[in-house]
Amino acid sequence: MSDFTCLVVEDSPMMRQLLVFALARIKRIQVTEAEDGVDALRKLATNRYDLIMTDINMPIMDGLKLVKRIRSDVNHASTPIIIITTEGSTEDRQRAMALGANAYITKPIQAPQVIQKVKELLKIP
Amino acid sequence: MADDDRAHRTSDIPADLKEEREAFVRQFLRRGFELTEDVLAENRGLRDQIQKAQEDNARLRAALASNDAIRDLIKKIDGLEAERQHLVSETSTLAENSKRNEERTNEVEQELHDLANLYIASSHLHATLSVRGVVRHMRELLQQLLGAERYAIFVLREPDRASVLVAEGIDPATVIQVGEGAIGTVIATGRARVVEGPPQPPGSLESPLAIIPLRVRERVLGAIVVVSVFEQKERWAAVDHELLDLMGAQAGIALLSARLFAGVADARALLPGIDALLVPSGGSIPPPPNPPPGRGEDV
Repeated sequence: MSDFTCLVVEDSPMMRQLLVFALARIKRIQVTEAEDGVDALRKLATNRYDLIMTDINMPIMDGLKLVKRIRSDVNHASTPIIIITTEGSTEDRQRAMALGANAYITKPIQAPQVIQKVKELLKIP
Repeated sequence: MADDDRAHRTSDIPADLKEEREAFVRQFLRRGFELTEDVLAENRGLRDQIQKAQEDNARLRAALASNDAIRDLIKKIDGLEAERQHLVSETSTLAENSKRNEERTNEVEQELHDLANLYIASSHLHATLSVRGVVRHMRELLQQLLGAERYAIFVLREPDRASVLVAEGIDPATVIQVGEGAIGTVIATGRARVVEGPPQPPGSLESPLAIIPLRVRERVLGAIVVVSVFEQKERWAAVDHELLDLMGAQAGIALLSARLFAGVADARALLPGIDALLVPSGGSIPPPPNPPPGRGEDV
């Protein structure tokens, strides 16, 4: 039985797997994976999530557009969003935060940091 | 007759003697009265003294009882203070243990993360049968797991010259002469070179941050060269070295395997005759199938 649901949006299968591995360290969290923004919107239309974690640079629909769409969605307007960026994309990060993202993680990601951020946003002790 | 005698005898007492006797009686009575008064006064005094003594006694008894209570309280306070000290000490020990456990948990989490990184790196490198797939995974490993910003993978296209297979932020036309310069030396010797200390500031192609030989058994096929990493990466993690070692040991094999599959349209075509390859040595090994030209499977 899961207490929390999390949507991980990342086009790199390797990164996705790494994020899923990290999130698996948190008890009672169920993770759903999406390959890009469009795939994420499809899943958001039929499911409710407690947390969304998305990469910025993705094909088809990037993370910035996705954050904007999520914030205009009544069901997920206040769902915490963590964006994953690289150091070179400071502007993207600022834009994402301005669009309504709640936190960011820079690559290369470290599982303990991911766990800490997710716990903070989900208020898991 | 007797009354007459008595009256006679009284009347016989001389007057002065009678007065003297009466004076004596009066004095005797007065003296008795005074004595009684004195005794009564003394009695009152004694009563007062007894009462006072009783009061003093009661006061002393109360004081004594009070002192006992204070002594008991002091004893209790001492006991409680000792208990408090013990609890403070235990709390301090528990806090230290808790801190140690937290640190250990963080270490374990970090180790798990590192192991996950290595597992993912290894599984993805060998999860594809196409050269394009292997190279894509190598790029992802370098960028996503190691945080490489400028890097290149060189392969030996001629015995003494290595050229770029894939590069980011480095001229793809770069050619390395085996045995010359930092990269050429690593390819020639097969010994990795990684800068000690933090990976900042960025290196250059002449002096990169890391050069890892791509090995298959004892043969060197080329090298992975990391010139710079993302700015936020201030130090090498222990897993970075293991990741580079893993890539050096496995990426070459994955690349060669994919190259061997490049001409195979259907991997099942390689299965006939596979039993013959189980013979340790001296067995007759069937020739490889003659596959139709193709780009291989992109798994």
